[in-house]
Amino acid sequence: MNESYKIISSSILFWFSQKKWFVYSILVSIFLLNLSTPIGLSVPAYHSLIILVLVFMLVTFEPIPFPAIALLTLVLQVVLGVAPPDQVASSFMNDAVLFVMGSLMFAIAIVHQGLDIRLARFIVFIFGRSKRMFLVGLMSISAILSSFLGEHTVIAIMLPIGLSVIKNIDTQQTDGKNAVLITLFSIAYGTIIGSIGTPSGGARNVIMINYLQEFSNVHIDYWKWMKHAYPILIIQLVVAYFVLQFTFPSSLKNIKMRGFKKNVENRSIKKDINHLFSCLIIIAIIASWFTFNDIYGLGIIALGGALIFMIFGMISWEEINKNTNWGVILLFAATISLGFQINETGASSWLVIKFNELLNSLPSNSMNVSWSIMAILSGLTANFFTSSATVSLIGPMAIELHPTDISFALSSAIASGFSFLTVISSPTAMILYSTGLVSTKVFFRVGILMFIISILILYLMSQFYWVTL
Amino acid sequence: MKILIAIGGKEFSKPTLDLGMKIANSFKSSTTIAYVGKKISQFSEKDVSVVHQNLDDRQLYRPGIRTLEWAYDFLISKKYIEATNTNKFDDYLLVDEENSRMKVLLKEQHSDKIDLIMRTGEIIEQLKDEVEVNKHDITIIGGGGNKGLHNKLIQFIDSAVFVVKNYSVNKEYKILLPVNDSEGSEKAIDTAINFAKSYKLKVEIVAVYEGKKSQEKTDKLLLKTKNKFVKNKINASTKILDGPTVNAIVNHAKDDSIIILGVSPKNPIMKYFFGSKPISIAQKCDCPVLITK
Repeated sequence: MNESYKIISSSILFWFSQKKWFVYSILVSIFLLNLSTPIGLSVPAYHSLIILVLVFMLVTFEPIPFPAIALLTLVLQVVLGVAPPDQVASSFMNDAVLFVMGSLMFAIAIVHQGLDIRLARFIVFIFGRSKRMFLVGLMSISAILSSFLGEHTVIAIMLPIGLSVIKNIDTQQTDGKNAVLITLFSIAYGTIIGSIGTPSGGARNVIMINYLQEFSNVHIDYWKWMKHAYPILIIQLVVAYFVLQFTFPSSLKNIKMRGFKKNVENRSIKKDINHLFSCLIIIAIIASWFTFNDIYGLGIIALGGALIFMIFGMISWEEINKNTNWGVILLFAATISLGFQINETGASSWLVIKFNELLNSLPSNSMNVSWSIMAILSGLTANFFTSSATVSLIGPMAIELHPTDISFALSSAIASGFSFLTVISSPTAMILYSTGLVSTKVFFRVGILMFIISILILYLMSQFYWVTL
Repeated sequence: MKILIAIGGKEFSKPTLDLGMKIANSFKSSTTIAYVGKKISQFSEKDVSVVHQNLDDRQLYRPGIRTLEWAYDFLISKKYIEATNTNKFDDYLLVDEENSRMKVLLKEQHSDKIDLIMRTGEIIEQLKDEVEVNKHDITIIGGGGNKGLHNKLIQFIDSAVFVVKNYSVNKEYKILLPVNDSEGSEKAIDTAINFAKSYKLKVEIVAVYEGKKSQEKTDKLLLKTKNKFVKNKINASTKILDGPTVNAIVNHAKDDSIIILGVSPKNPIMKYFFGSKPISIAQKCDCPVLITK
């Protein structure tokens, strides 16, 4: 057989084997485009839903880079007549996108300062009386920090602390293995749970606030979000502590609370000043989120934080540029833009009508049923699709279900944060998995229990606590 | 000659590493030991990278380094690397190279015969890239994992592929060499000669009649192949097998066989969708299989 034919066909096959989900996604989209437009739906609205399906498939299976998915989303919106170019461009950038960009840069700047050792000393100082208290400390400090700074910042700071205390544990023994798992999960669950606490805890929260403002003219400020979400966070933390103690019983005898001590000794005055200044910047930014959020928006304040670190030479642009996930920023911007078009074209209203028709066909139909379906759907989708992208695409539908009742929108955003089931659902889960110490099976085994309990807590709080606010 | 040994978990990689190093030593080839880390979702890849950098700064082993450390210690324990007081794994430097490749540089290791590298991503893509960029001649992988992975490796990697299944250090192996008149079979014969000479292994050359007309041709081929081994002073025997080719070879192979096969001359598209005889044999046999290219 001709050698060049073999090489070409082998290269095409390899491309196909790596990109098959891209081919399947395009074929599904072409098939849907050739079907007649459903009754009650305009052509642009139908096309926006086809792009939604395409984006879901591409983001889930990742056959092409995220920036390519983002560009494809924008190009298709114009080419398929969903919206004119200017409208697509204007919906591409808003405060939620600025927040994603700013928080990622801010996170890199904070992690770069090496605050973990100081934080470890603080945790031992406050919680060091016993090893179980130490775990409580790891979990609660992770949660508090994550609620303000976002999970990707906190897991990057806390994981080295966790790994240094379990460094020499023999994982061949069940007791040792459980000690490793309970330490890592305490940090991971603290970080995941914390991210629901405030708007700045996760991009999904900011995206939902933005949608509520745009679509329903409902404004939620930093305090209001915290009043709704923080009590849920606290209850979840208590539950998570007991779930982990029950799932990974261990004597914890091999945990070395001062495993990081070797590094603590490398102190210098310059470093101390840097750390002090970093803490002041962090406090100033959090305070600004509380007080100036209405005037400047969360995104601009987050960008301000990164800017201060750069101006004072505490991090270089090269470092920020190297470690910022520009692909994710582009993708979020494109999915938010698509979310806006889904709402503008009436596609979200049509989906909600169909959803309500489906509910009417059920034997018992109430607000509770629609709430439950929406919350569980948001939670599950986020676990297979990541939370922020889920909210940017499902958010308009959640708001449309009950435009004046914020409990639906809030529940959808909070449930999207319950990334307990899969390792692809959040940066925390993926980082934990990347250590090689936690398998997908173990993550799911503990996570399924936490997911169910968390949905229950959310339901009870929305029914009995939120109504009192 | 350059050899690539892909390792995963510690326990399962022992036979792969051991046999891989024996082959490398017999061919006096340079060896790359590669650990391919889990594929990271694009959402989190930068976050993971920042955390791993942080772990390096804190002198905490990043994922994969422990496996490479274990591999290095294993090579010392088996005397593939000379043990000295200075060539410990404690002091290492990770050099970030292109395309998710990281090279581990040990402070006191001066030999350029063995490289330790880490890669992150989809395993086929990473190994294919490693073979293409560094021109490895043989890729050695463990027999665990899913069969689809072995299929794809055989299909897409541009080197000979050695799947080390159920290899035992203490067992006395013999080479089982199925032959036909294809170009791939010629390459397999050359490799088997080198292999048998280096290890003083016995060779059993087998063929299957693929129709009555081909009987005479097959007999001639067996005799010609046997002569090549005899010329090289290698103990070789021949045998004709009955039945469908794949089943005949699979049934004939014992757990002390090392099967050496040539790659199928079939159209790559047909191979991808319908498989090939070498791929089927590698899938079904419970012994090490080397597919030459």
